[in-house]
Amino acid sequence: MTTKWTATKSLFLSRTLTIATLVMAIAALFCIPVISEWYAALSEKTDLHGVMPVVLYISDGLAIFALWQLHKLLRNIHAQRVFVTENATCFRLISWCCFAVAAVWLFTTFWQFVYLTFWRFVAFLIAFMAAFVGLIVRVVKNLLDAAVELREENDYTI
Amino acid sequence: MPIVVNLDVMMAKRKISAGELAERVDITPANLSILKNNKAKAVRFSTLEAICRELDCQPGDVLEYVKDE
Repeated sequence: MTTKWTATKSLFLSRTLTIATLVMAIAALFCIPVISEWYAALSEKTDLHGVMPVVLYISDGLAIFALWQLHKLLRNIHAQRVFVTENATCFRLISWCCFAVAAVWLFTTFWQFVYLTFWRFVAFLIAFMAAFVGLIVRVVKNLLDAAVELREENDYTI
Repeated sequence: MPIVVNLDVMMAKRKISAGELAERVDITPANLSILKNNKAKAVRFSTLEAICRELDCQPGDVLEYVKDE
């Protein structure tokens, strides 16, 4: 039996995954104190309780905001509103969220509370990945901006 | 936009309504309104040809170039 994979099903999958990730990101908020304690124990430093949760709360907050924008974007696509300025704004906000996360983790990389060299590397990797995703999303945003302009030109050609 | 559409002037001269012109030119009244209100970004030659034919005028009677301040 073969399943015909349509665009509607693909969109449904994207929306479901976005909502699932959003729920996980919200749930992660409650796990941050546990993660921080675990990290503090692992890095053998006792004064980390104050700083590490802040980094994680900021990152998770930005992730939740970015996921909400993604949800709005997919809702617009579902409603056949694809090449609209609102979607470009969503991409722009997601991109800035990624850059903000990258800045936070870059700060973490070079701050002394990252005690172990391995964790310093992990923090840098997270910063790099966030910045890279932010850059890609920004290019997509520029592409969508151009598409919106083209659509408007097409719509207003009589 | 420095190109101004003087369609309403020509329509008044020829005493033709917007609905009638839209029907004769074969465009929707909404599109004719966009054209009349200078909201259009481009005009197809086929549309311009039909407008000139129905209003018995030249493209220059409908379109005007106004220098930007």
